[in-house]
Amino acid sequence: MKDNMAASRGKLKKIEFLVLVLFPIVCVLFALSVGRFSVPVTEIFHSILNKFSFDFELSGQTELVLWTMRFPRILMALLVGAGLSVAGCIFQSLFSNPLASPDTLGVASGSSFGAALALLLGANLILVQASALIFGLCAMALTWISGSGRNSNKVSIVLAGIVIGSLFSALVSLVKFSADTESELPSITYWLMGSLSSAGYNTIALGCPLIILGILILFLLRWRLNSLPLSDDEASSLGINVKGLRIVCILCASAITAASVSMCGPVGWIGLLIPHICRMRFGSSHVSLLPASVLAGSGFMVLVDTAARSISPSEIPVSILTAILGAPFFIILMKKSGGWNL
Amino acid sequence: MIIKVENGCFTYKHGRRQVLDNINFEASAGDVVAILGPNGAGKTTLLRCTMGFLKWSSGRSLLESKDFRNLPGKELWKTLSYVPQAKQVSSAYTVREMVLLGRSVEIGVFSLPSKEDVRKADAVIEKLGLSRIADSKCSEISGGELQMVLIARALVSEPKVLILDEPESNLDFKNQLLVLDTITELAASGVCCIFNTHYPSHALRRANKTLMLSPGGSHLFGNTRDIITEENIEKVFGVHAVIGDIESEEKIFQDVVAVGIKADSDQTQTKGSSGSAVATVSIIVSDTSIVTDVNSILHRYSKYIIGRMGMPYKKAGFNMINIFLDAPVTEIRALTDKLNLLPEISVKTTYGKELNQHR
Repeated sequence: MKDNMAASRGKLKKIEFLVLVLFPIVCVLFALSVGRFSVPVTEIFHSILNKFSFDFELSGQTELVLWTMRFPRILMALLVGAGLSVAGCIFQSLFSNPLASPDTLGVASGSSFGAALALLLGANLILVQASALIFGLCAMALTWISGSGRNSNKVSIVLAGIVIGSLFSALVSLVKFSADTESELPSITYWLMGSLSSAGYNTIALGCPLIILGILILFLLRWRLNSLPLSDDEASSLGINVKGLRIVCILCASAITAASVSMCGPVGWIGLLIPHICRMRFGSSHVSLLPASVLAGSGFMVLVDTAARSISPSEIPVSILTAILGAPFFIILMKKSGGWNL
Repeated sequence: MIIKVENGCFTYKHGRRQVLDNINFEASAGDVVAILGPNGAGKTTLLRCTMGFLKWSSGRSLLESKDFRNLPGKELWKTLSYVPQAKQVSSAYTVREMVLLGRSVEIGVFSLPSKEDVRKADAVIEKLGLSRIADSKCSEISGGELQMVLIARALVSEPKVLILDEPESNLDFKNQLLVLDTITELAASGVCCIFNTHYPSHALRRANKTLMLSPGGSHLFGNTRDIITEENIEKVFGVHAVIGDIESEEKIFQDVVAVGIKADSDQTQTKGSSGSAVATVSIIVSDTSIVTDVNSILHRYSKYIIGRMGMPYKKAGFNMINIFLDAPVTEIRALTDKLNLLPEISVKTTYGKELNQHR
């Protein structure tokens, strides 16, 4: 009966929850230990305990690698992974469209343009991120304005998103075209491929409030989000303020996307891949889907980023890896569970 | 009167044609109202306007004498529930999750459903016989099951009015009966049910009130027996139809059968007004005291009666009477209807081929 109760509320089973919570923790420990400078797990624990006024013998170099080089990057991977997964999950439900992802609204393209523009003007990192944020939200607003109105439906919003997205992609190309080929173009191009190598506590401090706030609001709304895929008539007949809910969801998901893109460039696939895997495994109720996406997405991103920095001597852009790893994994899962259902 | 529409008119923005023209109807607790009309007559538009999903161009909907527009959403949707057509479902929620969504109106924006909510959802699932599929995904169950799930979702908020959009179309015989029986049961328990249909026979058998909607936007509203007539069906649906009885062992059902498409040239001529026919009216009376009433009615039609046979079956207290008529079709119908109004009587009329051309 108790399990029954949990099932109908759409909650995760205890064992599933435990596995999901352990997954990112294990990933973080793994990511801390692996790299060109390998750190044994025992030393990681010692180093963590040292923070709580224990006193273990550790070399300064280990401390430096763990806490100045690796940890901020891992932290950012956790945030970005969780954020993009949640955003993707929301966009999919919002548009009842399994192909929706953070790029659907053109937010990712808008943010990319903002960042590229700032890089072109030689702005510092803080300004790059602010600009990405502003243009991301601009793109979202443009999509909203052109896609809504009389005779609008879920499809027209996605179409508008695609149009606005390609508009901003063209603008990005324009920026690249006018960039100085010696100095600016490589940095813009590299940033556009997506990388977490710029991670530092400052960058995170700027990006994390929006991501955390967005996830928090959506998490609080988690049961109500179940009405998103319903038609407008259906949802309003359940006494739900459909328009308000949609606006809140779009704002949250777009802000999360813009903040992620501003920190590490457009990282594709995560927002499509993780929510689908979670849907296949844990069902469609957002009560379980949202926490599952956060936990799985953050862990997955940490793993992918670890691979990106340790596979070859020179770092591989993370977008390339997510696509190479993600596509086959996704196809196998889709064949197995046989569906695109939300 | 629990729900009422006053002078409802509707025209789509930038549309030239008026879709709904001065609609008036009302329903009380326990009523089953059928909204009947051919495809494209605006049945769904009427429902959507009634519930406020579309705004009336003029006119208004009232719930318990209060204008819909002045009701806060929460109050409105606690009293009124909507069952959409089970056409496509893009969400893979389990049946339990889907039914539980019906409690949304009671559940705060940031809250999860309480144990009480879950219990109520489970009770409705049980009541509608959906327990077997409670943990299946909505995208993997049959159309009939999905329709029942959507009805269950509408019922968990314990509404006084249930509005169903073509609940029985796209379903097979058994599932149609299941849905219609559910509506009948709900009405018997005091819920006012309003449903859209393009099957006159469903309206005829299940609804006590019918609103018949013409493609032109005009409408007829009243007691089902007054509204669903062969003439009206011909006018609204553009088919020749026959309303007749179908007998099973225990019961006589009224049914409507479409017998042919009305040709355009037929439009000026209304069927039955001038035509005459021969007919047999078979009467079985199970209470002998009624026989005098029958005879007095028959006396008024004596000029049309060309023969009669009667036989009392005293042992069982029955009287069996056969009347043979040659009369205008309207008169034969009128006689049949008058006889039908008597208690403890079964009446059936069989028509011969019409003779009107040659007389």
